Amino acid sequence: MDQRYFEDVEPGDEIETPWDATPEAVAEFMATRRLASGLPEIEDGPERVRPGFERPIVPGSMSLAVLSRLVTDWMGSRGRLRSISASYRRPVYRDDQLRALALVTDTEKQAEGGGLVKLDVYIENERGERPLQGVAVVELPLRP
Amino acid sequence: MDDADAEFEYDRDILGVEFEVGQATITKEHIARYCAAVGETNPLYLDDAAAAEGPYGAIIAPPSMLSGLLMEPRPDPDVRFGNTSYAAGTKFEYYEPVRAGDTIHVSALVKEVYAKTGRSGTMVFAVYQSRYRNQRDEPVAFEEFARVFRQA
Repeated sequence: MDQRYFEDVEPGDEIETPWDATPEAVAEFMATRRLASGLPEIEDGPERVRPGFERPIVPGSMSLAVLSRLVTDWMGSRGRLRSISASYRRPVYRDDQLRALALVTDTEKQAEGGGLVKLDVYIENERGERPLQGVAVVELPLRP
Repeated sequence: MDDADAEFEYDRDILGVEFEVGQATITKEHIARYCAAVGETNPLYLDDAAAAEGPYGAIIAPPSMLSGLLMEPRPDPDVRFGNTSYAAGTKFEYYEPVRAGDTIHVSALVKEVYAKTGRSGTMVFAVYQSRYRNQRDEPVAFEEFARVFRQA
């Protein structure tokens, strides 16, 4: 995994990755949720269509996880994800053709080494809708 | 804008009361299954040798794994409005990394419940806060999560 350095980043930089939210992946995500705590799964099964929705949806926490992955893969092992937020504006439907995207919007060098980078993050479907939008803040090291 | 006149009911006594909602021990197996589910391939999470040479000296969990932990249900403000509810938004702040073998303790409270009326009608929001701490009582993460209740 390549290391991203603060000096290499500029506002306007973009990153993206496709995301295939298959029924199997959603089911596995939901199954992993109960492993650590030993609790039974209490949320909807992956096949259930909830009131107000056209089709089965992807859990919001899974969409957030994919946005986090996009950013942490980009920043490299010595970067740190400080925070990430997301507004769930529309449902993310399972089996949609999805992309996770991020746009660097601001950079700020820190007094004690490293720098903070702010990114707009979002999930986009094949209809051009952005059902999740948010902001991530990462800390990147300075180039040695 | 907030809609103070919207008609809805909820349990006001629960506001601000912090509850322990569970704990989870994060194993390498758990991390690996989580990574497979969300497409994570970062060696910091999966490869003992690579992680040993990384900044943390051992395997850590992806930060987002905390949002995927299933705990006891959050404190319930018992919102009585509409016929459906879903996640409206969330924000995570991360502090200490979660290392394989860590036990994470989670506490949660209901911060507020309020209504908003817009073009699509009235929606009621319940805002929760959760604190994640490890077995050394170090803060690992803080989450603010909002759920919306509405008439479908």
